[in-house]
Amino acid sequence: MRKNDDPGRDRILARIQRGLRNPAPKHPPLEQSGTIFAAIIDPLDRFRKECGQNGTECLIVPHAGAVAEAFEGLLESIPPGEIFVQDVPELRPMVTLWRKDRSIRWSSEGRPAEQSQATVTLAEALVAQTGSIFVSAACGGRAASVVAPVHIVVASIQQLVPDLGAAFARLRERGTVENSSMLCLVTGPSRTADIEKIIVMGAHGPRRVIVILSLEPLS
Amino acid sequence: MNTPAKEFLRSAAAKSADLAHRSTIRTGIDHYEAAVTRTGARFLDWEAARQRCQAIKWEAINHLDKYLLEFESRVQDRGGHVFWAETAADARGYVSELAARKNVRTVVKSKSMVSEEIDLRQDLEKQGVKVFETDLGELIVQLRDEPPYHLMTPAMHLTRTEIANLFQEKYGGVESNDPQHLVDIARRALRDAFFSAEMGITGANFLVADSGIVALTTNEGNGRLGSSLPRIHVVVTGIEKVIPRMEDLAVLWPTLARSAVGQSIACYNTLIGGPRNANEPDGPEEFHVVLLDNGRSELLADAEQREVLHCIRCGACLNVCPVFRKIGGHSYGTVYGGPIGSVLMPHLGGLNKFQHLSFASSLCGACTSACPVKIDLHHHLLQNRRNAVESAERPFSERLAFKLWRWMMMGPMRFAILGGAARASLRAAHALGLEGTRLDPMRPWTKTHAPPAIPDKSFRAQWRTIAKK
Repeated sequence: MRKNDDPGRDRILARIQRGLRNPAPKHPPLEQSGTIFAAIIDPLDRFRKECGQNGTECLIVPHAGAVAEAFEGLLESIPPGEIFVQDVPELRPMVTLWRKDRSIRWSSEGRPAEQSQATVTLAEALVAQTGSIFVSAACGGRAASVVAPVHIVVASIQQLVPDLGAAFARLRERGTVENSSMLCLVTGPSRTADIEKIIVMGAHGPRRVIVILSLEPLS
Repeated sequence: MNTPAKEFLRSAAAKSADLAHRSTIRTGIDHYEAAVTRTGARFLDWEAARQRCQAIKWEAINHLDKYLLEFESRVQDRGGHVFWAETAADARGYVSELAARKNVRTVVKSKSMVSEEIDLRQDLEKQGVKVFETDLGELIVQLRDEPPYHLMTPAMHLTRTEIANLFQEKYGGVESNDPQHLVDIARRALRDAFFSAEMGITGANFLVADSGIVALTTNEGNGRLGSSLPRIHVVVTGIEKVIPRMEDLAVLWPTLARSAVGQSIACYNTLIGGPRNANEPDGPEEFHVVLLDNGRSELLADAEQREVLHCIRCGACLNVCPVFRKIGGHSYGTVYGGPIGSVLMPHLGGLNKFQHLSFASSLCGACTSACPVKIDLHHHLLQNRRNAVESAERPFSERLAFKLWRWMMMGPMRFAILGGAARASLRAAHALGLEGTRLDPMRPWTKTHAPPAIPDKSFRAQWRTIAKK
């Protein structure tokens, strides 16, 4: 809809502008009194601890070569069925190593199937403060991080930032916000507290979120 | 008195006497309080977080036109559509018309209080569209054909056993009342809907002006699926949700999560910038944002209460409110319940119709202390009372009583004589054993409370005796 197709728009804006002529009586202090969050001294340590609390499984491997091995171990625990993998050069060689009798759907072939058993993607950043993973639509698409019961993220320590502020700075710097139609900060498996306010893990999204974190760059 | 007020009194009296209801709410609030205490330690300075959030919302609301225009223009640059709805009818008309035009038969809906405000689901259902509420709490109240009970926890008034019985009746296959099992049943029940729906409807927690993105916070992943799988994604939200910068979320997200459910951060904090890009494997082809006014611009013009628009709908004020805990969410008879609802509803639905809610408060201020954006809620309740007395219909008997009271308070002699007469008549009623009966002048109090002891002498007489010593 173009702007002038919408007569309500101009009336709403006019009412807002008229309303704001009357200034609000008080202004909150511009500088807050204290530091909101404690500084993060050891991001890797904090990330592991937060993952432990929010239910993200964190596997730390020494280098990219060890990622495939970590995969092998994980596959045992995933029921037979299709696995969806983000189609990127970093993941291709690792995945072909363990391909065997697993059927694989690459993100270049479309979105994950409803019955996918796991999805494997990269991330935009990892956030130590909350033990979170920033993914974007570029990480295998929008549904890749939420459709299957297991989401496996392959990341390197270079992607780990201390806090949310640093994560946003990184996204800005790389133009991720402009270039991606969706971004999501994922913190642990999906959950709900809608029954008696008790937190239950595994709602519509994954029951398991696993980060394979390489201490050296992925490629 | 008008009908919503009478209905409120009737329902509030019934609910506060319903001990099973009280115990269910107590359980929910206990779990919430324990979680908030656990996450409290993550904030080095909670007060600083509240101040920061207040400043962000102040900046946005007091420059609302500027930030909305910035948001609109960026969404359009990214291929999205923005519709400005003056009224609830405009908003549901836009969505219903879109659904009809695009041959939408199934809609998956995430939790959105604005969609409740405009009766969106009912409107779509009227034209034959199947609408699935996908938030677990919303699904439960949809199955019971009830409005949500609480801003954040729509099914807070139900025990796991009641929910198990409901699921058994609607879906079958329920083996226990274990919440995990019940969540699994809901997941299975909605799975097909997610994959077959043509339209996903979500709300928004924040609209980020500088990036043209919608920030949506969920825990279950239903909002993620609903904004990823269907070919059309519609965001229905209020004009007051805009914030200036993406970086503001670094404090708003953890603050919202703590106040809403006592988490350090919600599971999915999603930023949606439009329809899928050409190089992306999935995502909707169309992206629409409906910005609802529906009385908000009038509230904005009330400088004294403008900050009510700062609300981020976390529900913390409900959880701490001694009135909410007793009368429950449905007694309010409004889309927005609890202290924020009592403040807001006279602006959205008319002062005369909803003034009574502002009187149903002890003005203890627990809501104001809990509010993560520092809205001065209990003073706004007082302002609503003042506005009601000045401009809305109040009963003649009340106006007469206050006139007499004022007259009595204006003269020391009158005060002494009438005070003495009141004490004497209460003592007489006590001596005759009339306490709590219809002849007791204190009956509104004594029918549910023990009567206070009546002093022998007035305060002034006692003061004179003490001062002499």
